[in-house]
Amino acid sequence: MSDSWQRARGRYEEIVPPPQLSFTVDAALRAGERTRTRRQRMHRAWATAAACCACFLLLINVSPTFAQAVSAVPVLGQIARIFTVAEYSIEDSEHLIDVRLPALELPNSTDLQQRINTEIRTRIDQVLQQAEDRARETRDAFVATGGDPADFTPIIISVNYEIKCQNSQYLSFVLTKTETLASAYTETYTYNIDLTAGREITLRDILGPDYKEIANAAVLAGIAANEAANPEEEYFHGESGFQSIADDQAFYLNQAGNPVVLFDKYEIAPGYMGAQEFEIVP
Amino acid sequence: MEQRESVIRQQLTQFILAGQADFYRLAYSYVKNPDAALDVVQESIVRALSKAGSLRQPDRMKAWFYRILLNESMNHHRHSSRLVCLDAALEQQAVPARDHAAYLDLYDAIERLNLNEQTVVRLRFFQDMTLEEIAQATGTNLNTVKSRLYKSLHRLRELTGEEVSYE
Repeated sequence: MSDSWQRARGRYEEIVPPPQLSFTVDAALRAGERTRTRRQRMHRAWATAAACCACFLLLINVSPTFAQAVSAVPVLGQIARIFTVAEYSIEDSEHLIDVRLPALELPNSTDLQQRINTEIRTRIDQVLQQAEDRARETRDAFVATGGDPADFTPIIISVNYEIKCQNSQYLSFVLTKTETLASAYTETYTYNIDLTAGREITLRDILGPDYKEIANAAVLAGIAANEAANPEEEYFHGESGFQSIADDQAFYLNQAGNPVVLFDKYEIAPGYMGAQEFEIVP
Repeated sequence: MEQRESVIRQQLTQFILAGQADFYRLAYSYVKNPDAALDVVQESIVRALSKAGSLRQPDRMKAWFYRILLNESMNHHRHSSRLVCLDAALEQQAVPARDHAAYLDLYDAIERLNLNEQTVVRLRFFQDMTLEEIAQATGTNLNTVKSRLYKSLHRLRELTGEEVSYE
């Protein structure tokens, strides 16, 4: 009677956690902390930005001389900006969708503005459509195999963006889509725009013709430094490890204007280490 | 407000550090694979920390965290159970051929219960949670937990041929 429970519990406790567990837990605690601070910082940044806009509008409305002065300042007069065109949530039994969709305004090059905005639009529409199909499929399979529809945990999809760099010359922002089914998976799309030339920039534009060598060296140095600092962080090595950046390598520009290359979860390191990024200081 | 939240987060971190082996075992009992179990534990912790603001009563932390952990485990289990490992498939097929007189060991019998019943049994007997906590952790009410537990014990008795009530 209680003997068999003792024995069963004994067998349960024989499930021995692997040594990586404590490291995984530490990494997760750090990651959790990061997502939170980032979110907080974003809120604060938005509040400040909103306050600035309010002041700005107010000043223009109030003082005609100020408005004239502003239109004379080149940067302020033709400022490029990113704003949220759509923000919505859908919540039903199959999914929880949270979308904050950006759009771009480039007074100097409407062609580029239109192209990028259309691309963002179609990309997100497509991504959401696929995710919805997948959610329905998973749910159907779950019900077909005898699951109670009420027990289905909805799939969580969120689309968001973050401005990484914005100055008189460059505008760089990152669009992310995260889908949480079993484990979270994030897809990232990056946009980097040279405002003076009115076009998207590549790593070659910033780093010169040897951009691949420079970037590869920076990534390898970054991997080595991270591994040395945290002996338990081990990237993939050899064939499945980092070889070279891709021709269309994803990157963004940080505050300092330096390119930062991005690698998805699983791309160059085990899943528990998450997505990786390395700054390239020219 | 901010201060209260940071206290809760500290408690949550302590709780996670202290309970990690338990989390791993529970996740493993659903996903049956060390890597997947590590993934589940990791995702659960990240989600718990990012949702820490929604934890109003710190004394419900255990149930609250296990609810996240169970959701992640079940999701993973469902997702991967569409892929059937050949060994497991053969093993399953072999079962009907077993001698009917040979009863299962209690631990193996638990695996034959449906997922909801497995959860109640594991939380009650292996993680020492109260029925109240189990109700919170599974998002059901106390009566549902009781009836699931009752059904499970009945079924376990059939599978093991032993009296398995515990009180």
